[in-house]
Amino acid sequence: MRRLAILTLALVFSAHASAAEDPPPPHFAEIAAASGIRASYDGDWQYMVGGGVAAFDCAHDGRPSVLIAGGESKARFFRNVSKSGGAPQFQLQTSGLELEAMVGAYPIDIDGDGEVDLVVLRVGEIDLMRGVGNCRFENANAAWGFESQDAWWTAFSATWEKSEKWPTLAFGSYVDRTKDQPWGTCTQNLLYRPARENGEPQRRFAAPLSLSPSFCPLSMLFTDWNRSGAPSLRIANDREYYEGGQEQMWRLSPGETPHLYTEAEGWKYLRIWGMGIASYDLGGSGYPDYFVTSMADQKLLRVDRPGGGAPANPSFSDIGYGKGVAVAKPYAGGDPRPGTGWHAQFEDVTNSGLVDLFVAKGNVASMKDFAAKDPNNLLMQRADGTFVEMGDKAGIVSFEQARGAALADFNLSGAVDILVVNRNAPAQLWSNDTPNLGHWIELQALQDGYNRNAIGGWIELRVGDRVQRRELTIGGGHAGGQLTWVHFGLGSASQADVRVIWPDGTVDDWRPVECDAFYRLRKGEAPARWVAN
Amino acid sequence: MPNRSGGSFRVFPAILAIPLLFYGCFTCALADGVGRPSPEAVLDARYELVLDLVRHTATYSPPVASRAFAYFGVIGYEATASGRTDMASLVGQLRDLKRLPKREAGAAYDEAAVLDAALSSATRRFFDNTGPTGQRAMKAMDAKFTPTVVAELPAEVAERSQAYGKALTAAVSDWADGDGRNEIPNMGFPLEYKLKDGAEHWRPTSTIAQQQAPLLPDWGNTRTFAMPEGATCDLPAPQLFSTEKTSTFYKEAQEVDDTVAHLTSEQKEIARFWSDDPMLSTTPAGHWIQIAFQLSDKLGLSIDKRVDLLARLGVTTADAFIACWQTKYEYETVRPLTYVRANIDPKFTPLLITPPFPEYPSGHSTQSGAAAAVLTRFFGNKFAYEDSSHIRDGLPPRKFSNFWAAAEEAATSRFYGGIHFRTAIERGLDQGRCVGGYANALKTRN
Repeated sequence: MRRLAILTLALVFSAHASAAEDPPPPHFAEIAAASGIRASYDGDWQYMVGGGVAAFDCAHDGRPSVLIAGGESKARFFRNVSKSGGAPQFQLQTSGLELEAMVGAYPIDIDGDGEVDLVVLRVGEIDLMRGVGNCRFENANAAWGFESQDAWWTAFSATWEKSEKWPTLAFGSYVDRTKDQPWGTCTQNLLYRPARENGEPQRRFAAPLSLSPSFCPLSMLFTDWNRSGAPSLRIANDREYYEGGQEQMWRLSPGETPHLYTEAEGWKYLRIWGMGIASYDLGGSGYPDYFVTSMADQKLLRVDRPGGGAPANPSFSDIGYGKGVAVAKPYAGGDPRPGTGWHAQFEDVTNSGLVDLFVAKGNVASMKDFAAKDPNNLLMQRADGTFVEMGDKAGIVSFEQARGAALADFNLSGAVDILVVNRNAPAQLWSNDTPNLGHWIELQALQDGYNRNAIGGWIELRVGDRVQRRELTIGGGHAGGQLTWVHFGLGSASQADVRVIWPDGTVDDWRPVECDAFYRLRKGEAPARWVAN
Repeated sequence: MPNRSGGSFRVFPAILAIPLLFYGCFTCALADGVGRPSPEAVLDARYELVLDLVRHTATYSPPVASRAFAYFGVIGYEATASGRTDMASLVGQLRDLKRLPKREAGAAYDEAAVLDAALSSATRRFFDNTGPTGQRAMKAMDAKFTPTVVAELPAEVAERSQAYGKALTAAVSDWADGDGRNEIPNMGFPLEYKLKDGAEHWRPTSTIAQQQAPLLPDWGNTRTFAMPEGATCDLPAPQLFSTEKTSTFYKEAQEVDDTVAHLTSEQKEIARFWSDDPMLSTTPAGHWIQIAFQLSDKLGLSIDKRVDLLARLGVTTADAFIACWQTKYEYETVRPLTYVRANIDPKFTPLLITPPFPEYPSGHSTQSGAAAAVLTRFFGNKFAYEDSSHIRDGLPPRKFSNFWAAAEEAATSRFYGGIHFRTAIERGLDQGRCVGGYANALKTRN
């Protein structure tokens, strides 16, 4: 059993940890072929971006299965058949998701029936794939009144606006792919809200609103950056293609037209090759930080709070360089050229109690000004809040062109594994075999009826006086997301308290949980331990 | 003109002196079927792509972009001049340009086909490192546009013309190889650089990892074009560094701080209009190239005048950046951001992003001065015009009474932007005027 003994890592868990001491490295073994994962994101120009992977439990057995976009090849669904605590194992299975031209996919329970659905982004159209049970899916665009439009779809996020029982979906599209010189041809981003008839909410979508101006996003995320209770839509845009563009954030208020935050309101002019978004409250302030991938320097954006209280304006500062996560150049392979970041995700891969950061890297195609050998980053958090690269020590160095990724506990072992989708090369699965892992807890917040996964809520975990928290979101990353257990590392602590701040603002009481276990959390109820079969 | 205001592309009959070429649809020529593109239309279409590639190729910082515009200018000029008796070659006039291929005596050539082949191969030569979209665009243009250029030509004329155009570019490429600037590692930022000691010297102004060393510190030693050498138009030393409140240096910094704190909307508009950031615009040199195209179209200039203007403008903006960089790294002067925050106002935040290289003199001022010198000689000193270069980026056109008024506004924009002191912009214009004189001295007529 992998556990324990990373006892000296987390600030609150050990009085002996020095401020800048490097944590013990994690270790992973590449097992894609052995696990049954055989997939590749294939294609030329139209598939230079994308390559997402969705991880979700469609069998009600707690195990995250995966859908891997295939680009010009058909997407592949792999059902997770791992034994609890054993090696990750998958079976290629027909699911109805074997679509062509797939760029990426995100899991979401749209209709609140308890069966996970998939939002599929494709070159050409969007497909809402309804889960019909036993990991089978069918197109529900017509059934849900969803009018897809022809575009190169590259970004997605979802939220449930206040009092709504049907989700609001945001989609980002890239350039006009019919143009030989597509610069400056960013096509429209769209917002689908719940339909109403005679003022009554319907279980289908209204005609979409245009989120104009649109600047060629490669990632978007509904997130409550100021804890107002109404998530805004943060968009990472690719400066390669827009003209007059920049990074964006839209404020959504129920029933109102979306409002794009302006410079006068504090929004700072930032123009990067925005490709992926990961969020986490690294500072323990209660407000999420945003890691945005790009070419050369990656960005870590923290909301400005001059007085230390609630942020007054949507003004963010880049703290990535100081934190050690700018990671502009490869750390292995000897290529001195700048790197290219795609999917990013915060997870605690050693269960130390300090969340780490994974960044998928890889050249867009064969751009000579950027690194050809561009390994994925695994940035381990030190006790002082800075990060140190340990991809090489962890054994995950790869020079494929990575795109999407999913960090999840695929074998329900309590350790986070890493699945990476590569462009025109086989996907890679790194199983976490770090010795002496710390304790862990994995949680799911569940509601009845609608928004079953409590999207827009927060899960908080307290050990002593230190709180780790995670916003429950759908979106971000690069072309793919996860709807599975929320993992927390505990270090040496054997107990913790958890609570959920539900999307409606209800704050649960703190309740105790034991380490190394799975719990399901429901409003007002004690955490229910879940045991894998 | 390379009209970056959107719309559809058309190719008009060769007899039209003013081509109306619009962005992004050179393939429409096939559908229109109204005739072969004129040399002017070829020039427009090819430069349109070049301007886009400059914007979208990571190594094309302003100095690197200016170098490309110089070589493109020479190629376009020689492709045209080689077929005319009234135009003089630049061989022997530009540094180390000793020979170029000549046309076969008495043989028939098509001028549009020569120009298209020359600029096509130049595009592939200078933008070999562009990304997948640029590669795709180059491929598409060659596949769809070039056939319209050679359509209806006798095969041997088309082949001869294209062969000559390619040979010309190959020869210019050989010449370009000699300046040692083909490769721009790490986008121009050295992997190691020892900063000069002392508070008067440049310090990194951002937390971008790549920009902890300054951009292209050796660019001042690049082989020049029309100007004898990088130091030919050198400037006196910048204001004596001091933190004393009575010093000129402090007062100039105070002036920047005060100005930035009280910018009018007009001043902000000016700063952004001339910002011309790399990878978000065609760069300062490209901005002046766009102006040249706008005016060439408005006046209906013939191909000989267009290529003359583009050659001089390309050469002078390239020389200007070399001269400017030579001076910048002679002194490595501190930026207002660093000085003002340390000595006057810790919260000082310039309107524009401070460029990652030393302050003195202002690069945009030097090259705008050089461009104004060339354009004034070409169009006269009372030529009023409207500049609509940034319409696609949402910036409205600006009107100018003459080119020096535009250059002075471009220079002052860096002061409004909070990235330069007054001395750097005033002397930058002086340096540009000096540099421009050498391009103006080129003999292009027999």
